[in-house]
This record gives sequence, structure tokens and C-alpha cells, in this order.
Amino acid sequence: MNQDQLPQNLRNKDKDEVLFSVRTDLLSDGSFGEQWLTVTAQEVAVWGQEEAPNVRLPIVKVKDARAAGAIGGGMLVADTQDGPVVVARYTAAQTSTFSFAAKLISALAKQEELPVVSERDIPRTCPSCGNPLLDGTKVCPFCMQSSKLAARMLRYAKPYKMQMGFAALLLIMTSVVELAPPYLTKVIIDDVLQTKDMGSTLLLLILGLGVTMLLQSAMQTIRGLIGVWVGSKLMGDLRKDIYKSLMRLSLSYFDRRQTSQFIGRVNGDAEAMRQFMTDGVTYLSGEVLRIVAIFIIIFSLDWKLSLFALLPVPVMVIVSMTIWPKIERRWYQQWRSTFRLNTLVGDALQGIRVVKAFGREREETTRYEEANGVVVRNNIRMEGLWQFVFPIFGFVAGIGTLLIWYYGGRNVLHDRMQLGELMALIAYLGMLFGPLQWISQMISWANSAMASAHRVFEIMDTPSEVPDTHDPVPLGVIKGDVSFEHVTYGYEKHHPVLKDVNLQVKAGEMIGLVGHSGAGKSTFINLICRFYDSDEGTVRIDGVSIRDISQSDLRRQVGVVLQETFLFDGTIADNIAYSKSDATPEEIMRAAKIANAHDFIVRLPDGYDTRVGERGHKLSGGEKQRVAIARAIIHDPRILILDEATASVDTETERQIQEAISRLVQGRTTFAIAHRLSTLRNADRLVVLDRGKIVEVGTHEELLSKEAGVYRKLVDAQRELSQIKGVEG
Amino acid sequence: MADKYDIRMLSPDDVYFSRGNGGVLQGVVDGQPYDELIIYRAFPFRYTDSYISIRNAKDEELGIVKEIHELNEESAEELTKELQFRYFLPRVTRVDSVKFKSDLWLWELQTHLGPTRMAMRNLHEHLQYPGGGRVILTDMHGKRCEIPDWQALDAHSRRQLEEVL
Ligand SMILES: Nc1ncnc2c1ncn2[C@@H]1O[C@H](COP(=O)(O)OP(=O)(O)OP(=O)(O)O)[C@@H](O)[C@H]1O
Ligand SMILES: [Mg+2]
Repeated sequence: MNQDQLPQNLRNKDKDEVLFSVRTDLLSDGSFGEQWLTVTAQEVAVWGQEEAPNVRLPIVKVKDARAAGAIGGGMLVADTQDGPVVVARYTAAQTSTFSFAAKLISALAKQEELPVVSERDIPRTCPSCGNPLLDGTKVCPFCMQSSKLAARMLRYAKPYKMQMGFAALLLIMTSVVELAPPYLTKVIIDDVLQTKDMGSTLLLLILGLGVTMLLQSAMQTIRGLIGVWVGSKLMGDLRKDIYKSLMRLSLSYFDRRQTSQFIGRVNGDAEAMRQFMTDGVTYLSGEVLRIVAIFIIIFSLDWKLSLFALLPVPVMVIVSMTIWPKIERRWYQQWRSTFRLNTLVGDALQGIRVVKAFGREREETTRYEEANGVVVRNNIRMEGLWQFVFPIFGFVAGIGTLLIWYYGGRNVLHDRMQLGELMALIAYLGMLFGPLQWISQMISWANSAMASAHRVFEIMDTPSEVPDTHDPVPLGVIKGDVSFEHVTYGYEKHHPVLKDVNLQVKAGEMIGLVGHSGAGKSTFINLICRFYDSDEGTVRIDGVSIRDISQSDLRRQVGVVLQETFLFDGTIADNIAYSKSDATPEEIMRAAKIANAHDFIVRLPDGYDTRVGERGHKLSGGEKQRVAIARAIIHDPRILILDEATASVDTETERQIQEAISRLVQGRTTFAIAHRLSTLRNADRLVVLDRGKIVEVGTHEELLSKEAGVYRKLVDAQRELSQIKGVEG
Repeated sequence: MADKYDIRMLSPDDVYFSRGNGGVLQGVVDGQPYDELIIYRAFPFRYTDSYISIRNAKDEELGIVKEIHELNEESAEELTKELQFRYFLPRVTRVDSVKFKSDLWLWELQTHLGPTRMAMRNLHEHLQYPGGGRVILTDMHGKRCEIPDWQALDAHSRRQLEEVL
């Protein structure tokens, strides 16, 4: 608790032992500022800058305490004999800390066992700079140098260092060879043409020129081929890694983002990085090499004149320094607007049915046009800046050349210099400023590559919120006991959806989960599947905390039919065999039969080979659900989870599926969620959830006998409804 | 309770808000006293001072206050204050700097509640544009700030923002 070291002056003031202290980031009036909250066995106090505490609350007066979450922040409220008291306020960053404080105060007040601070309760900050640390990482992004980004990117090139080394060697040779022609020209002009003799030397020199040209082309080709090969490989590696990291991320990562955005990113960002690593790095090193070589040559030719060539360099450096940060930001700006445009398209096309159903094509087009306009504007701004950079560089560089023409020309006129030498100098200068212009291109590449790398590594570095343990407990085939112990979970930490849930389920039991919409039923089963990790408490399978079970092990034991049915692009058979790729046709059919899907599938023109999913045959809602059920049961899971699995099928079909499942269910732990309560008549026990809390547990009869029970009300309401409709019993 | 299936709009005479000794919002709604009231903005972005949902401690809606300014002075004041507490959304009055330093976007801001800083991993997931010149900034830990209209800020701030919005 580094940051929470209580200031010395406060520490001395309190005679009692301080059990817990924390610095708030808001004052009592809600404005930014610091206060200290201290909790002792006798009282809760909040200290400002003054001698006396701002709030002082004896524990004996406190009945309970809670952290009341609000948006962007919250407050610690103590319920006292005289009504609730606001003890302290804080921003969202401190939510977990104050939840703990509330628990501690509450425990003190009720004289219960005091809770122990765990790592999860205290948001961690970097010890050296005080900035927040990212969840699950130990490295502080501030103290990390961004040069590491490039190094990390180049690590991808490592497996190909042989090839890249060879390419670099060729590059050096090309550069050297490239430098020869101007020198040869000089020799031709000065020693052959002007002296007008040595005809045979002329031939030789021209032959030399020819050879260098040939060599150059040959080496360029080979280098290009290596570049293409290494580049494609690199690109493949990168894409694979990005995709792998995406698959590794927990569901909560995707909850907060539109998924269509990743489609473009996997390819676009990988391409930008590849371009930098293959073309970029080789060009850059080649050009740097060439610049150095050219300087050496021109200085040895005529060092005084060469100094002119250096004149524009400081100007260029200054221009670059001021302009690059601007370009970088505009780059990102442009990327973001394109990004928004892409998500817009992704969204509209995914929901194309809804768009058509409501006749909103025109509005969607307008929305697109607006976003498109922004992209166009940013594009012009960005490219405009670019257009400005090139000519400036060219012009400044040109001035150096002009100076050399002037002074060099005078020297030639006064016979202090030979014509060929001047020609060579000018030629070299041309070659020098060529690369300088290239460098701006280079930097633009580097820029987009760095931005891409940043985004890619961001994905790769995002820790999964449900990390696999290092030494998982081997499970083998499980029995199927499931237990929830004081489980609290919220998709957003300050807003719990499940609150202190306790439940023991014996192997082989069938549990029906009922409750109002939004009560937390799906969330409950999400925790069994470990799509998310509980914020407090533990979920155990066969007595082992599911945090200690490797996820692949867990998934092998659990079969799920989710509320939103999703079928992958592929045949029905592929979809059923999704969790068991080596399933035989018989197994597939057997699973389909249990799910009551076999008959309709066989009647389809393409049978089990009917293509479904995004681009394929559109199955009806109930048909899809039945395929999903078959998918869940094919690998014979020990725990079966059915979230509204039969909501879209008629009651007769449902009855058949149920009978089949009930045979299957024997000896298997089953969790079934259904709004149609008749679905759950086979359940051993019903669990009624209401606003995230378990309010009733028992058999259908037991619950029905409770006069004012929640379940009773649900049943009554449904009975009433079906009587009105005159259907269902 | 009139119609269970309709929104109950509370007229200014139906409600009275005050602050309890412990600093908790309390009041009288429809003649019934409550010693703790919870309030929500129905449209936190679009209508910050209208359509306020008033709820009891059990989070059951008692009704909706349409316009805060139509209430009597004390009630309006307490409600506004409570909204400020619940919706911790400081208004940015000046943007001192926006820097991109080693993987993080760092914002130094002046708000009507005092100076603060925010850290974001990227911009495309942490900025929201609800319309007009409004921008909602959310940092890595869920802390939020609001720029009511970035075009209306001073020249220095606008310059800082130009490249990032
Ligand atoms: N991915 C999510 N991110 C944030 N909040 C969520 C998410 N999924 C569900 N919630 C919220 O959690 C609460 C419980 O949702 P849950 O899906 O568990 O309800 P449910 O009991 O399954 O309801 P239904 O019967 O309608 O399916 C709801 O208030 C919902 O808004
Ligand atoms: Mg659900």
C-alpha cells in the first residue's frame, strides 16, 4: 500500500491503532482534492489539511456501511442511528478500495470477523511515477520507453535474420556499386574526353559502367525477391499472433467494443508493420549507408565545396522536428475517422434486416455520408500537410546545390577545378538529396508502423481478465458438483449484477433458474462457464475453484446453449461437430436426433451438408436453437447449460426435446433457464433470482406453497396469461 | 399510484428535496416523506438538467422531474448538488496539455471542480461525441470529464484539442 502511507502528522495524532487508511481523491463537496480516511477499532475519521478531522464517526453509532456507486465515482455511506451519513467521496479509480473500506467498517460495526485486504482491493500505481498500473501487469507504461516498441517489432524479423542479413549485404553492395557511375563519369570527362586521348581506356570505362549497371539490376532483383519472401512470412506471423491474442482475450474485452472493428485491424495493422520492417528497415539502413558514403566521397573530392551541401541540413532537421508530431497526430486522427467509418458500415450491414424492416436506408446513408465527410476532410488535412513537406525539403536541398553550382562553376572557370569533378559532385549531391526526400517517406512509413504496432501490442498486452493458472489442477472426468460461495459479480465493477450468491449443486442434479428478465440468470451461467471471473467469492466444480482449472479442461466438461444462438459459417454437420472435430457421422446424427433436429435437417435439400451461418441457408430461430443444442450435447459434457435453449420452438417440439434431454441428463448436472416455466417441470430444484440475489430455492411444489413467494407470483402470472390466450396448461 | 404503465411526471408541487444531517438526499414526494432518495438522469448526455428519475432507497421509481429549474429554489439546489455527486462529470474549463508519452495519452485538465489529469491507452475507445461540440472523456479507470463545447474553449485549449478530436 505504497500510496496509502498515512502522513506522519496524522499518524501521531491517533492514539488508536489505524486498521486501514486511504487517501481520497475528492473532497466532501465533490471537487478534486485529497483527504485521508482512517479507520480504527473505535472510529472512522476523515482528515483534511486542518488539525481536526472533517468527519468523525464513532463505530458504536454505525449500523452498517456501504460504498454507494454512482457514475464516474461514488461515496462511502455509513448508516447510523441518526440516518445515513456520507463519509467520503471518491472517483471511479478508487471504487474497489472504498468497497473494501465499507466492508471493514461494516464488519467492525457488526462485530464480525474483519476482512483481509487483498491485492484486488487496492488499485495499483507505479511505485516510481505514481501513475496507474494496468490490470494484471507489473510494468508501468510511463517508465517503459517507446523505443522498445521498435525493438519489439523487430523481434518478429529475428527468425529471418539470415535472409535479412543477406539482403542487407546485397544492399551494401548495391549502394557501393551505385556510387561508382558518377565517379566513372568524372574519370571519363576529366581524363579521357578533355585530354582527348586513350581511346582504349574509354572503352574500358564504358564497359565498367555497363557492368556496374548490370550488377545493380541483378542485386536489386535478388534483394527484392528476398524482401517479398521475408515480408510475406512476417506478415503471416504477425497476423497469426494478433488473431491468437484476440482469441485469448476474455469476453469482457469484446463486450466493450464493436467486434467488426477487428476485421480491418488484423490485416491493416499487420501490413503497416510489415512494410516498415521489410521495406522500411532495409531502405533506411541502405539510405543511411549511402549518405555516409556520399559524404565521404564528396569530402574527399572537395571538402570546402561540400560544406555547402551541409548548409540545408539544420533547416531540414528543424522543419522535421516541428512538423513530425503534427503529422503523427493527424495520422492517428485520420485512422480514427476511417475506423469510425468502418464500424459504421460493419454495424449497418450486420443489422441490414433491421435497417430494411424499418425502412431506414436513407438515414443510414446520411449517417455514412457524414462520417465519410469527416474522413475526406481529415484526408485533405493530412495529405495537404504532406504536400507541403516535400517541396520544402526539395527547395531547401536545392539551395545547397545552387551554391555548389555557383562556387564550383567559378572554380572551373578559373581552372581551379576540373569539369568532371564538378559534374561528379553535382551528381553525388543529387544522390544525397534523393534519399533525404525518401526519408520523409520513410518517416511516414515508420509513423504508421509505430501507430499500428502500438495498437497491435495493445491487443497483445491486454491481459485476459480470466487468466489461466500456471499450475492447473488436473480434473480428469469430473463428477459435476458445482458450488457458488458468496459470489458477487458485475460487468462494471461498481454495479454488481449478482450479489452474494450461495448455492450448492450436487452432481447429477437439474437446476432450473427462473426470475425476471435482467435478474442475472445468464450472468450466473456465464460464471460457471468462466466467461467472466467473479469479483468476490468463488465458483467451484468438484470442490476445485474454477480459477484453478485450465480453461480447456473446463470447456471439455461443459456444454452450453447460449441465449443468442450463433452458427458459424459452414455446414450443419460442421456446426454440430464444433466441439468435437473427430465426431463420426453417427454421433452427429445421434446428437441431432436428441435435439429433435434430425428430421428437419434430413428434409433439407443438402441435408447435413447444408451451409449455414452468415452466408448460408437461413435457418429459422427454432431450427437454429436445435442445432445449437446438438452442438452442446455431442461431446457428452458432464455439465449441461441451457439458456433459453427451447424458447423459440413450439411446446410440442419442446416436449420432445425435453424427453430426449432428460434421458441424457441422467447423471449429468444441468442448469436450465427458461421463462416458460413448464419447461422446467423436470428440474430437481428451482432457483429463483431477483435483482441478482437468490431469493428462493426449492422444488416446484415447495415454492408454489409459499404464499407471497416470487415463484408463486411468476407461476400465477403465467397461468393467468395462458388462460386468457386459451392455450398451454 | 395512478397508472402503473405510464411514466409518472412529477409536477413542481409534488416534490420537495432537502439534505439530511448525514448529507444524504431526502425529501417528500407526493406527500410521502423519504429519508433517502436516489436520482438518475434519464438522458445523461442529452438532457443534463431535465428528466430526472426520482427513486426510493429500494430503487423503485417514484416519478420523473421534468425540469429542475421549475422546482422551488431549495429543491432545485439540492437536486443539482446531488446530480453533481452522483454523476461525477467535471466540466473541463481549460485543456492544459494533451501529450502522447510512452504508450499513453495524458491529459492535463482544469475543471470546474479543480485540476485533474487523465490517462488513456488510446483515443478511439475513450472519447465520445454525443453531438454538438460535446466530448466525453473517459480514462482508464472510468473517471470521466466532459467538454460541453470544445469550440467554445479558449484558443490554447482549442489548439491542444484540434489534433486529437
Ligand atoms: N455484457 C454485459 N455488459 C454489461 N452489462 C450486462 C452484460 N450482460 C448483461 N448485463 C446486465 O446484467 C444484468 C443481468 O443480465 P442477465 O443477462 O444475466 O439477465 P437474465 O436474467 O439472463 O435476463 P433474460 O431473462 O432477459 O435473459 C442486466 O441488467 C444486464 O443489463
Ligand atoms: Mg438471459
